[in-house]
Formats: sequence, structure tokens, C-alpha cells
Amino acid sequence: MAQAKKYSAADHLVAGHFVSGSDAPELKEVKVGFIPLTDCASVVIASLMKFDEKYGIKIIPCKQPSWAAVRDKVVSGELHAAQALYGLVYGVHLGIGGLKEDMAVLMTINNNGQGISLASQLKKKGVTDGPSLAKLIKTQPGEYTFAHTFPTGTHAMWLYYWLASYGIDPISEIKTITVPPSKMVANAGFGGMHGFCVGEPWNARGIYDNVSFSVASSQDIWPDHPEKVLGATAEFVEQNPNTARALVMAMLDAAKFIDTQGNRAKVAELIASPDYIDAPVEVIAERFMGNYEDGLGKTWHDPNHMKFFNDGKLPFPYLSDGMWFLTQFKRWGLLKEDPDYLAVAKQINRIELYRQAASQLNVAVPADEMRSSRLMDGTVWDGKDPVGYAARFEVYA
Amino acid sequence: MKRILIIDDVTDRAAWLKASLELAGFDVVGLLVWEQVDEHSIQAALADVIIVDANAPGRDTLEQISLMSTTLEKPVVVLSAQKDQRSIEEAMRAGVSAYVAHTVQGEDLSAIIHVAAARFAEHKKLRDELKEAKSQLSERKLVDRAKAILMEDHGYSEAESYKRMRSLAMNKGKRIAEIAEAIIMAKELSA
Repeated sequence: MAQAKKYSAADHLVAGHFVSGSDAPELKEVKVGFIPLTDCASVVIASLMKFDEKYGIKIIPCKQPSWAAVRDKVVSGELHAAQALYGLVYGVHLGIGGLKEDMAVLMTINNNGQGISLASQLKKKGVTDGPSLAKLIKTQPGEYTFAHTFPTGTHAMWLYYWLASYGIDPISEIKTITVPPSKMVANAGFGGMHGFCVGEPWNARGIYDNVSFSVASSQDIWPDHPEKVLGATAEFVEQNPNTARALVMAMLDAAKFIDTQGNRAKVAELIASPDYIDAPVEVIAERFMGNYEDGLGKTWHDPNHMKFFNDGKLPFPYLSDGMWFLTQFKRWGLLKEDPDYLAVAKQINRIELYRQAASQLNVAVPADEMRSSRLMDGTVWDGKDPVGYAARFEVYA
Repeated sequence: MKRILIIDDVTDRAAWLKASLELAGFDVVGLLVWEQVDEHSIQAALADVIIVDANAPGRDTLEQISLMSTTLEKPVVVLSAQKDQRSIEEAMRAGVSAYVAHTVQGEDLSAIIHVAAARFAEHKKLRDELKEAKSQLSERKLVDRAKAILMEDHGYSEAESYKRMRSLAMNKGKRIAEIAEAIIMAKELSA
């Protein structure tokens, strides 16, 4: 095991990393945006358990009403960092949909724990899964509306990927709308929506309220997929490298705490509060612990439930994870041309800063900056041929 | 005259805003609450500028509508309770959205809307230029590909291939990229 190592002024001079010669955080208070979702847990826990104070900062968790607000406030500096959809950070960096700003991913916050639900009304039409949904849409043309949470976000990409795997074209065959996570279940209840993709606890809440049932979890689409990241502007990281590192360290402590199974029930209780997710603890806790039901009578334990640490393998900002979102932007026409996939991911994902933070906490860092995954349709993504991968899908825009 | 659409669930605030804007000489063409916001209602309002509250959860809905339908690209003025001048300026600098404090007077609003509309036009121009640059890039790729086909199939040199495409383009009154595309298509047909 590596020795815990404290950075000293001398190290900094030798390494040439820090002109200040000190690793004291530049800011004492760090405003971190979050959205009421189960995966805001590490922001909340880092603050409530005072992991932030160990590293000389105070995290102020700031609840946000929409992803657009998260984006605008991070870019304007009103928030220093935020729990953010992986794709949103990449979208802002490339200026997709307007606002363009150089961005940074400091670490991956979580894997898994999102899901796709269909409105209960579809049960009467014999729809219980992907193939039966495809059959309905192909044989009974009409206006089918599906919701996700942000145009460049992860839920849009999981929804599109899942639908396309059953031959449904998400751009031309259905209509997609965007609905804030906490409003998803209420909107599905109005009857105009046929399905949605959202983070927990809102799929569980749909079952609890008899509004919807589950057809896929996001880990069914891609086991251990990247989901939320800790995002900031490149400018913030350049001006406050020590604060950024301290923030990653506090978030790593929180991630480790949350993934200690004995702490999960307590964490669920803490994040359920009106200050954070504002939902009944029983709605959050079951899927958070891996206990799934689909609302059609099936129950199971999913070992790939929402995770934050996974023995330290998870938080590393793998380049291949970021590049995957770029391949899907290209696939769905959000990017007209292939970008320089690797160069963009290297600009955004701050691997060096993460390594410094992880080494101080004795968290092992993977040797490879890419990882290999097999998705639901059998395709393997390892980051090696992004242009070929982006072009290989049969359903695309 | 700028036509303005206000989207706000706080109806008394929307009414106040409408009155201030009308005093400043603007035409407020619509007041919507978020539940009514969809592609049709935005299109039907025929507005030049949309004003929304920064903290409305429905803002993401608007993001998707404007991204998926380029005809609905509109400057969005975002009203915020935040009065920090720096953050307002940063947001203005950053692009389409403009942060504005709720407490601003009618006259200030008019200036802000002018700025937002101008910034938006500037941003759109930049984006159009980028698109143009990208399409030129892909045209160059087409020409390169066609050149390679001519070189391989007919044994022409690179310069000779290019010359032949250029003279054909001139004779036919077409762009060289169109000739290149035809060569590539012919090759694909025979493949």
C-alpha cells in the first residue's frame, strides 16, 4: 500500500505545480450546486459529516431548481462547482445549445441508479418491456411522448440508447420533452407522457404513486455507467487548484462513507430531508440499497445499484467515459462533425488533480485512463476507436 | 419594436413586468405559466425575446425546445433575485442568457432586452460562421476523396485529378464539391 503523503512546500517547488508554494485552499467556503436526486448524496454527506473541514474548506450545498440553473450559475461563478450530468459539462464545453465555456470534470460522482419508466396506461395496451413498446409504436402510429431531463444530459442518452436498441428512432419516431426530475412523476400522471428516463428516487416514486412501472434500470443499459460528475469551470480550477483538490478529497471521503453498506440506511434518511431530496425515506432507501421492484410484480436484488466509490475504482475520471458522451452527441446530431474525442476529454477531465487528491487519501488510481464496458446491445466501448464507434449504430439521427 | 413573451408562474410578478415593459414601449405578446410551455405555445407567441425566472424548474423544458427546433431560437432573458453585478456581467458575457435582478426598473429592463437581443444575434452569427467553416471543411474532405478515386481508377496525378474536376465544375456551372460528390456516388454505385 502506498504511503500517505502530505504535500510540502518543497515538493511543490520541485514538481513545479504550485506557484504559491502552499496547498492551503484559496477559498474557505465552497458553494456546490445539487439537484434533488439520490446521487446528490456525496455533496450532502461531505458537508453533514464534516469531511470538508478535514481539508480546510466548508461546503455550502446549494439546492438548484433545474440543470439550466446549475449550468448558468457554475458558468457565472455564482456556484463554484456542482453535481452535474456528465453530458451537460461536455455540452457546455463544446457550446451545444448556446452557452460555451471551458469546463472541468474533477471526478465521477456515481455509477448506476437511473431508470426508464413507462406510464401505467401502456399496460392496458399490452406493453411491459422494450419489444412490446416497439411493437406498439410500429403498429399503432401516433404521437408518443417521452421525457428526459436535459438535452445533452445522461438521461437523454440512456433513453435514446435504450429505445434505439429496440429499433425505435428517438428523434423521428417519438417526441421527446424535458421535465425537471422532481416534476417527472406528477407530469407522467397527467396522461400526456408515455415514458420517461430519470434518476432515482423518481422511478421508484412513480411505482409508489401508481403512475408508472420500470422497464429498465440504467445499469441494465450499461453496467457501472458514468452518471453524475463533479463539474466546475476550467477558470475556477486554474484559479483555485487547492480548493478544487480539497473538494475532491472531501467528496472521496463521502463516497467511501456512502458505499460502506452499514451507513446506507442512515445516508438515505439524511438525504430524504426537505432540505435535500424532499421525498419519503422508504422511496429512496429500497433502490439505494439495491432492492428493486418493477411495479409489474417482479422484485430482485441488483448488485449494480447506485454506487459512489466501489473500492476507489469509480471516482476516477476515465477519459473513455467522457468520450462516450461525445460519440452519442455525434450519433444523435448534436454534433455535426466528429470532434477530436481524446483531446476534448483530456481538456475536461482533470486526471492529474484527481491523482493528487487520491494519493493523499491512499485511494488507488487505475493504471489505465480508459476502461472497457459492454453495453446492453453487446457493443463494447473502450475508447479506442471513437469515430468508428459513433458511426456503427443502425439507428442514428 | 421588440415583441416579448413572459413565462412565469408568479402571476402578479408577470403582470408587474408586463406593465413596466409596456410603459417602456415594448409589446408584450404573451404571458405563459410553465405548464403551458411547449413547442406550439412558444411558436404561437411570435416573440422576439423570452423572459423567464432563473429559478423556475421548467427552464430545462425551454432548453430542449430551442435545441430541437432551430426555428425557435430566441434570446432568453433570465430574471434572477441575485443582485451581484459581477455574476450578471459574467452571464451576459457568456452568451444567450442574461441575468437580471428582479428589482430592476422598467427603463433598465429595456436596455437589458436590447443587450440580450444584440448578444443573441452576435452569438447566432458566430454559430452560423462556425457551421459555414465546418461545411467548408467537409467539402474539402469530399474533394480529397474524389481526387483519390480519380487517381486510383484512372491513374491521374493529384494535380491532374484536381484540374479535371475544376474544369468540369466550371463547364457545368457547379461547385467543385458537387462534382466531387458525384464522383464519389458513381464510385459507390459501381462498387
